[in-house]
Amino acid sequence: MIRPITLPLLVLALAGVLAMVISVGVGSVAISPADVLSVFLGEGSDLQRTLILELRLPRTLSAFATGGLLAVAGALMQVLLRNPLADPYVLGLSGGAAVGALLAMLAGLGGAVISGSAFAGALLATLMVFGLAHGTGSWTPSRLLLTGVVVAAGWGAVITLMLAISPARELPGMLYWLMGDVSYARIPWPGLGLLTVVCVLVVPLGRSLNVLARGPMQAAALGISVRPLEWLIYILASLLTATAVTMAGSIGFVGLVVPHMLRLVLGNDQRLILPACALAGGTLLVLADTLARVVIAPEQLPVGVITALLGVPTFLYLLYRSR
Amino acid sequence: MAKLKATAVILGGMLLAFPALASPVCAIDDLGKHICLEQPAQRIAALSPGATELAWAAGAGDQVVAVVAYSDYPPAAKEVTSVGSHTRMDMERLLELQPDLVIGWVTGNPTEQLATLREMGVPVFSIEPRSFEAVSDTIERLSILAGTEAAGFPEAERFRKGITDLRARFSDADPVPVFYQVWDEPLMTVNRDHLIGEMIELCGGDNVFGHLERLVPRISAEAVIAANPEAILAGGMGEENRHWLTRWQSFPSLTATERDNLFFIPPSLVQRPTPRMLEGTRLFCEKLEVARDRRP
Amino acid sequence: MNAMQSRQMQTLSTRNLVIDIPGRADGYPLDLTIGSGQIWGVLGPNGAGKTTLLHTLAGLRPPRAGALYLDDVSVSGIKRRVFSQQLGLVFQDRQDGFPATVLETALIGRHPWLSPWQMEGTDDLAMAERALEALDVLHLKDRLVSTLSGGERQRVAIATLMTQSPHTWLLDEPTNHLDLHHQVAVMKLLTDRAAAGNAIFMCLHDLNLAARWCDHILLMYPNGEACWGPAERMLVPNALERLYNQKLATVEVDGAPFFVPKRD
Repeated sequence: MIRPITLPLLVLALAGVLAMVISVGVGSVAISPADVLSVFLGEGSDLQRTLILELRLPRTLSAFATGGLLAVAGALMQVLLRNPLADPYVLGLSGGAAVGALLAMLAGLGGAVISGSAFAGALLATLMVFGLAHGTGSWTPSRLLLTGVVVAAGWGAVITLMLAISPARELPGMLYWLMGDVSYARIPWPGLGLLTVVCVLVVPLGRSLNVLARGPMQAAALGISVRPLEWLIYILASLLTATAVTMAGSIGFVGLVVPHMLRLVLGNDQRLILPACALAGGTLLVLADTLARVVIAPEQLPVGVITALLGVPTFLYLLYRSR
Repeated sequence: MAKLKATAVILGGMLLAFPALASPVCAIDDLGKHICLEQPAQRIAALSPGATELAWAAGAGDQVVAVVAYSDYPPAAKEVTSVGSHTRMDMERLLELQPDLVIGWVTGNPTEQLATLREMGVPVFSIEPRSFEAVSDTIERLSILAGTEAAGFPEAERFRKGITDLRARFSDADPVPVFYQVWDEPLMTVNRDHLIGEMIELCGGDNVFGHLERLVPRISAEAVIAANPEAILAGGMGEENRHWLTRWQSFPSLTATERDNLFFIPPSLVQRPTPRMLEGTRLFCEKLEVARDRRP
Repeated sequence: MNAMQSRQMQTLSTRNLVIDIPGRADGYPLDLTIGSGQIWGVLGPNGAGKTTLLHTLAGLRPPRAGALYLDDVSVSGIKRRVFSQQLGLVFQDRQDGFPATVLETALIGRHPWLSPWQMEGTDDLAMAERALEALDVLHLKDRLVSTLSGGERQRVAIATLMTQSPHTWLLDEPTNHLDLHHQVAVMKLLTDRAAAGNAIFMCLHDLNLAARWCDHILLMYPNGEACWGPAERMLVPNALERLYNQKLATVEVDGAPFFVPKRD
């Protein structure tokens, strides 16, 4: 091992746990730490149990899962496209999900149908770009990127159209979805499960990505089946992003900046970066969501605003310090 | 024998005096859901400014423990704890207040937050009056759920009668082509099906954009000029604002401008489906009468 | 030594191989056998297809016709990872990858030898460091590759190939960017490797390097013609003048021929 992998991951895991503890303990209703603990031990008043176990805990876990999924998807996209400006949405995936969700909202359907529709939209967008890029025969990352950017712009136009023609009363809900909102997410288990699976696959996947990051020709010369690996990464990143977006709308910034920040500090071994992204992305979003809930309560802020406000100065500071 | 009679009278009186203790209260909301409470609601959360007004109109103001932002009428509502905006409520604060009835607004409250409340066993009664009769009916239903029929029913009747009277006086009057301006950038109006559109008809007005399909259509200034209304009624951004009307003054060919039939209507009197609409409708009818008087 | 490495050294050979250069007619079919201990030099003017040949031999590009064999087994049936244990390539043009240190870059060469769940061990680390030292870049091991000079990067690339330690080494103009001292050092290294049993196959633009260091030569003409064989048979002035379309004067230095372009 060139760099110790375990120490940074341990630090990030601790940060994640701390963030989750804070998130469960803090809210617009003050509950003392002792009371929080008693809830977990099976006691506490009904109100406290409701607030903590049915509101805060699912939301915290969902925020962690969403943040982790987005950060890992961002890291994968950046390696796939060999472009540090790539984020999970660059290939139009969140656009497709948004169109799916907004259509469900327009039709007046709620809850599970919106999520299902978002997921379907995300997969449709993925297949579209897959098909378009594949169809041209020999594609390169820049071609995939260009196809994706154009398709994303197309989805953006459809979204703008939908916002323009939808009845005024639907607009707040739509805008909240587009800005990203963790209060939508009630069931964290699929997201957490997927995140865990990816982290388990990190050793073989990570090393292959390290080789791929040297360039596709070099990777092929070292025994990597480049094209299948690239499709695998694309599908995996799409699945992660689709799950995240289905849970909490299109939260921006996490997928672009978390991998960057980690690379500045931890180097480029994807076996370290991928699990670190999962932990750091989750931590960031949990903290951001806590702030979004509490900072101007009872008004609720969209979490994307907070992630930007937290992430931008941190990123600039790290960039300034690096070289 | 006299003692028995006395006891019966006393008992009967007690039952009459405390009807609330006797039986559960039920009503059907605007989504068709049948909501029953074991006893009249004592801790009501009103999740839109309109719902707040209607709760007060139903006589249940003292029982309201939670409102949302912009619940500014009646003034007493401003003293009540706010739980955020009607598009995104602070669930924790809402639950902390332990409401036994939540009055939701059909369009505007986020469906998944209302669903969360229902899952936690909090009754959600969704309303949104779409006609004059619906305003009265809603006040009555709310007062049943709050056990304040004594105040709510008379108020509903007052509104009903007021509207009927206005209709009798004005709906057959000489039609006045009217343009009602909801917003200026973008330029928006209402169609025939909108409650404001009904107000116009009730006052003997002819909404020049009544035939459009959308409830709140976006139109162009050219369309207004082409329709050449005889009167223009506009709201504004506050209660005193008349800026929107000045734009029409730069089109002297408009009949409405020519005759200075540019009227400001305080938006709070027309844009919420509450008893204040009665004042708003009276104001409408008054202005249209002025327009008729100004005819050469 | 890794258990995987004590497998047999397999010789790369071609049968009727015609490389695919888009827009150009079929070239001469190549029947090469790059045997253990041989040092091949591929000579030809720009555009003759030297790089294309190298990429075809490495399995990165399909040939227009013919096939590659490892010890009489067709390469098309061999898995890529196994193939990379037998054959490695140093590219002429470096692609810009994500930032990495020199040591990390060299260690990448161990990839074909590690099973999916295996992490690099101390043996692998030692091999990488030995390779870096042999190429005189060990002192740069924690530097980012992007901060190195062209020559240093070239040496890191060769070190990566050495870490990969395949039987057959393919190199595309390995002396590019190298100063004189390091050119000689690299050529000496390759000679040592050949003596240890590896097969070396490299494209060179410098005719005299080939003359000095290679024992087998492949001449690739711009029209697709090719001829190959032991160096002394191939390095005749007529053939070379036709190859480069340039008159040459020959001298002998240190027992090897040295070619100088004539002025007129």
